[in-house]
Parts: sequence; C-alpha cells; structure tokens
Amino acid sequence: MLAVEVKNLGFRYEDRHVALRDITLAIGEGESVGLIGPNGAGKSTFLLHLNGILPEDAKSEAAVWIHGVPVIKPNLPRIRRDVGLLFQDPEDQLFCPTVFEDVAFGPRQFGLGEKDVEGLVREALAKVDLQGFERRSPHHLSSGEKQRVCLAGLLACRPRILALDEPTRGLDPRGKRLLKTLLRTIEATKIIATHDLELVAELCTRAVVMDEGTIAADGPALTILADEVLMLKHGLEKPHILRHSHPH
Amino acid sequence: MHIPDGFLDPKTLVAASALSVAGLGRALWVLRTRMSSRKVPLMGLAAAFLFVAQMINFPVVGGTSGHLLGAVLVSVLLGPSEAILVMSVVLIAQAFLFADGGVLALGANVFNMGIAAVLGGYFFYRLVAAVVRTEYGKLVGAAFGAWASTVLASICCTGELAWSGTVAWSVGFPAMTGIHMLIGIGEALITALVLTAVYRARPSLMSAKDGGTAEPSAKPFAGLLIYGGLITLGLVLFVLPFASKWPDGLEKIAAVVGFDAKAVSPPFVSSPLADYRVPGVGSLSAATALAGIIGAVLVFTVSFILARALHRKSSEDGAGRRRRPGSRI
Amino acid sequence: MRHDYWDRYSRIDSPVHRQPAAIKAAFALVMILITVIPPHPPIFIFAGVAALLLALIAASRIPVLFFLKRLLFFEPFILTVAALALFQPGGFPKFLTLVVKSTLSLVTVILLSNTTPFHELLRVLRRVHVPSVFVTMMALMYRYIFVLADETQRMRRARQSRTFGKRREGTWVFLSRIVGQLFLRSTERAERIYAAMSARGWK
Repeated sequence: MLAVEVKNLGFRYEDRHVALRDITLAIGEGESVGLIGPNGAGKSTFLLHLNGILPEDAKSEAAVWIHGVPVIKPNLPRIRRDVGLLFQDPEDQLFCPTVFEDVAFGPRQFGLGEKDVEGLVREALAKVDLQGFERRSPHHLSSGEKQRVCLAGLLACRPRILALDEPTRGLDPRGKRLLKTLLRTIEATKIIATHDLELVAELCTRAVVMDEGTIAADGPALTILADEVLMLKHGLEKPHILRHSHPH
Repeated sequence: MHIPDGFLDPKTLVAASALSVAGLGRALWVLRTRMSSRKVPLMGLAAAFLFVAQMINFPVVGGTSGHLLGAVLVSVLLGPSEAILVMSVVLIAQAFLFADGGVLALGANVFNMGIAAVLGGYFFYRLVAAVVRTEYGKLVGAAFGAWASTVLASICCTGELAWSGTVAWSVGFPAMTGIHMLIGIGEALITALVLTAVYRARPSLMSAKDGGTAEPSAKPFAGLLIYGGLITLGLVLFVLPFASKWPDGLEKIAAVVGFDAKAVSPPFVSSPLADYRVPGVGSLSAATALAGIIGAVLVFTVSFILARALHRKSSEDGAGRRRRPGSRI
Repeated sequence: MRHDYWDRYSRIDSPVHRQPAAIKAAFALVMILITVIPPHPPIFIFAGVAALLLALIAASRIPVLFFLKRLLFFEPFILTVAALALFQPGGFPKFLTLVVKSTLSLVTVILLSNTTPFHELLRVLRRVHVPSVFVTMMALMYRYIFVLADETQRMRRARQSRTFGKRREGTWVFLSRIVGQLFLRSTERAERIYAAMSARGWK
C-alpha cells in the first residue's frame, strides 16, 4: 500500500492566489523524499494538505490518501496520528509550559493512562537525545533543542509518516549535523520540504521539484540535484556536495 | 489601580468576587456557545499581548509614564466577552507572577478592570460609534469608551475602598477618580493610536463587527440584561451609597443586601467628616463629579477631532498592505 | 528581555521549593487570610506571620535583595493609597494596619511565585476544576509573554535603527504602532499555534 497518494490536488487561497495546481503524486512506504523548489512554490501548502490542516473547510471528496485512508474530516484524528508534521517555526509548535507537557500533548489526546504517556515521552526524548529535559521550559532552550523537542513531540505519537517543513532552518552547523544524524535513525516515510539541498543529497532517495504550484520534476535525488540546468531553471542550484568529489 | 491585599474588608471582597465570578461565568457561557476551539489560542495570545503591551512605558512629563490598560482596545478587536476573559487572565497572572494586585483582592480587581471597564467602555464605544455615523466613528467611540472605562473602573475601586471603610469616599473620589479622569485621556489616546495602526495594516478589521472575530449571538438581549445587571448591581453596592445625597440610603441598601450596617466594623465613614469644601462649588466630591461631566464632553470632542485626524492621515498614506491568511511558503 | 525575569528563582532547589505546589498555594492563601481578614488583629499575629515568612525566605535560598527589590517596586503605590486613609477619624492606626497587611501579603505572594513554577500552579487550578478554557489560556499566555516581549524589543530596535535624528512622529505614535504590530503578529502566531495544536490531535 502506498504511504501517500495524491490525485489532482489543487488549492487556492482566499485572495484568489492559486497555490497548488493539479498535483498528482505517490509516495511508497519507507521512502525518503526531498521536496524542493523556490520560495512560493507551494511546498508548505502541500505539506499542510497531508494531515488535513488545509483545506480549512474540509470537503467531502478527498484528493489525498494516507495509507489508503482519505483525508476528509471524519478521518482527521487518525490521520493526524499517522502523519507527524513539523512546522517551520518551533516557537509556534512548542506551546506548552514544559518540555514534558509538550511532548505528552499528542499522546494525551489518545486517552492513554498517565503511566503510558510518561513512557512514550521518555522514549521520544531519548530518541532525540534530550533525556532529562522534562522539566525545562521551552523559552530557555536553544533553537536546536527546540527543534528536537518538537520532533520528540511528533515521535511520541509513533507516526508512520514524517512531514518536515524546513527542518534545518536557523540551525547552526552542529545543530544541522545532529538533526541529520537523528533523521537517519528514524524509521518512517519522510517528506522533507527544504532549501537545504545538501540535506536532500545526504538523506533523500528521491527528489520532487515544485515550482508555481506544480510538480516540475520527480526522480532519484542525486540525478535531479546533479541536473544543473533543471536546478537553475527552478531557482535552485547544484549543491556543493555534488560539485566536487567528496569522500562522504 | 490594582488594589493590594489588606485594603478591602471581607464583605466587599465577597461581594466583588461574587460579581466577578458571575461575570466570568457569563462570558464563558457566551463563548462556549459560539466559540470554536480556534479562539482559545487567539485569546491566550491576546492575553500575552496585553500583558506585554501593559508594560510599555508611554512617557509623560518628567520621569513619569503612562500605561495602557487595554480593556476597550481588546473588546473592540475581539469582542466584549472575549475581552472579559482576556483581561481577567492577565489580572490573575499579574497578581501571582508580579504580586501586582492582591490575591484575595482579585475579585475586586477583576470586577473593576476586567468587567466594569470592559463592559462600560464597550457600551460607550458602541453608543458613540452608532451616533457618529462616519467612517471614523469607531475610533471616536473607542477613544471615548477607553476614557470612560478608566473612569468607571476607578469609580468602582473608590467605592469598594469606601465601603470597606479604608478610604472615605469624599477623599477617595476626588483623589483616585479625579486622577483617573486625567489618566483616562492617555488611555483614550493610546487606544485610538493603536487601533489606527491596526486598521492601517488590516483595513478589513475596521468594517467588521468586533474585529471580525465575533459571531452574532442568538439572544443579544439576554447578554445585555445579564451584563447590564451585573454592572448595575456593582454600582449599587459600591457607588450608590456614597454618591447619593441621602446618607440613610446606605442603610436601605445594606438592609436589602442583608447586612446590619451598625454591626459591621469599621463604621462607614462617608458622610460627616473630611468633606472638603471648594468655594463656589461645594464639596470636593461634587467638584470632581462636575469635572467629570465637563471632562466627558471635552474627551468626546477631542476624541472626535483626533479620530478624524488619524483617519485622514491613514487614508492619505494609502491602503494597508494586504496579507494573505496562512500563505507562508 | 531576560526569560527568567519575574520568577527566576522558581526553579532553584530548596526545602521550600520541593514542597508540592498545592500545599504551598494553600499555605499562602491561609497566611493571607489570617493577615487580612481580621479588621484589627493583635500585633502578635502580624509578628508571627512575619517571622514565619522570614524563616521561609531564608529556607528558600532566594536572595533577600531580590525580595527587597520586588517589595520596593510596590511599596510606593501601597503607601500612596494607604495615605488616603489618613483623612478620617482613626486614620493613623488604620494607615499602619493597611501598610503592614498589604506588605505581608505581598511578601507571601512573592515567596509563592518564586518557589513554584507557574505551570505547577496551573495544574493546581486544573485540579480544583477551574474551567479548562481558562487554564489553557493562562498556559498559552505565560508561554508566549517572553516571546512577544522579545518581538517588541526587536521591533523597537528596528525602528530606532531607521530613525535618523529626531523622530518626525512622536514617541506615543512610535510606541502605538509597535503595539499595533504586536497585536497583528500575535493573532497570526495564534493561527499557526492552532494549526500546530490541531496537527497533534487537539479539538
């Protein structure tokens, strides 16, 4: 079964700006897909359709299926468990007074007992290497730590699909390295919308280029990234890692 | 105007707290029926906004500075019931985090600044905006309402202090309420300026009712009745005994409420002593009341002129930038 | 603004800090009630409460200077309003009583807020069945106060950086525009937070 199936997805904002045009896409279980393209291409908008945040007025006919389940209003609770969406700004996503409560937010919605919730939280924090951070308050953390807490919050729900919106934005080189190592160890279908082409080269097997709301190219990551003409045409460029031969 | 602990006596605390709980309950009830869960983060952030905004120093002459209270600002932008909750949350947080305002006195502070100021100010805002039928009518209403909210809150505060026997009405009214008639001008000015800034960036908010976030309630008169009743009750308890000419009116009120006036100590000190006289006008309290009425007319006029000037200026600067909802990519 | 501005000592360790929040809150309440409710309490009650508070302050390892600073912040206001009480028969004793009562209550609350992290106080509120909407609002407010304060400072600095010489507009206009911007940014942030909350199953 496909992890994500999208058929003829279109979306237009209130002010008539068309953000997505007729997107059709299929992502298999366990794939690691880099979603790249210039600003305004529709990457974030697309991700918001994967767990039903958009369209706001949930229509009856679905254009997106997650593990075969149509993304329509009645299915949203289970879809949101299955798809972990990491937003661009961790500040908006870390809305609880302590790290523990924030990571526990998702599991608590499942109606689990406090003991089980605690177990999930500890497990998630361990995965992101933030053991012992339970009682810390979010505004005291560094951006990298905030990012990882957000990730832990998603992992605590054990999603099968992880959708990440600009995960390396604002991170210092060490933070980026830590995140990359972390993402490698997580077993889930990954869809990463990003400007960080090095990340795509290192982590993703497949790259999808979006431009002006449509899919401009779709293929193996390294092939796409190495295609200089294609990259430049869509406001991107060939990442350094492919320009010179690296021992990596 | 945050009353600390120790200034109000038990009966005043109980009465004010009861009114506050009733007001909060009503606000919650109103919102439950027409609120989507979407509003909760909005109100939470509005509370954070207000908390921060209240800390900003608006320099006045010398080293002093004025601060925004924001009761009318929030009620115009989000709606009166929302504003009641937002103000109350801020006041509660201030009491615990800052020790700004007492903990037991929260009942009174919430009533004064969270309910009376909001509802009274909002009432005048709607009234004036309906009367001044121009594009900037809302600004005039908001400015005047903001002034009125400050004065009303201070009147209730003075009344509570007098009913507790802490500060005589004849001293408190000129001192506290008198000062707040001036402070209210600052509130009016800041409210008008902030609203102008908001409307400039988001013109759609200006024409929408209550900032576009309030939906019309099914039974507006029920709300009017309940909220109006609460304010009236508060005024009756805290203000009427002192503002009325008949000292025994106090006993009548006390009898209605169930307190034996003579049994409660300390004795009510509103009438005989410490009533300062101003030549030509009579008591200082009367002078203050007169100043209030003149002030109201003045503030209304100034609000009108100010609003027109602000509106003209922002129209000249062109329409605000349009922002697309949720369009970050 | 520094993130630990008001309750910077709420997370240190001491015998007082280790007590459960509910106990501390209840105790504070009782202290305030004892101090405030009786109209003319005998001196020994005040002395007793003061002694107890001093002992707790010492045990809490919070610097006394911090307490004094917070106290000094509000004393002028207390003194001014209490001064109004002088203008009546029996004014001076009343004045003294007011000052003592409010100061003791003030110290109690400062002690409570600096020995108990705010979210634990919220948990106590939840347990006594304060409506959940209210508590959630307070939690969100507390979480984002510092974020908004930082934003305000950034806006101020940005505007100041682009102001050469005397400002054309007055300070009040300058500040009001910042407040207005802050409001709009706050509502937009609220939308994003709502999306993040919904994405994790919140209804």
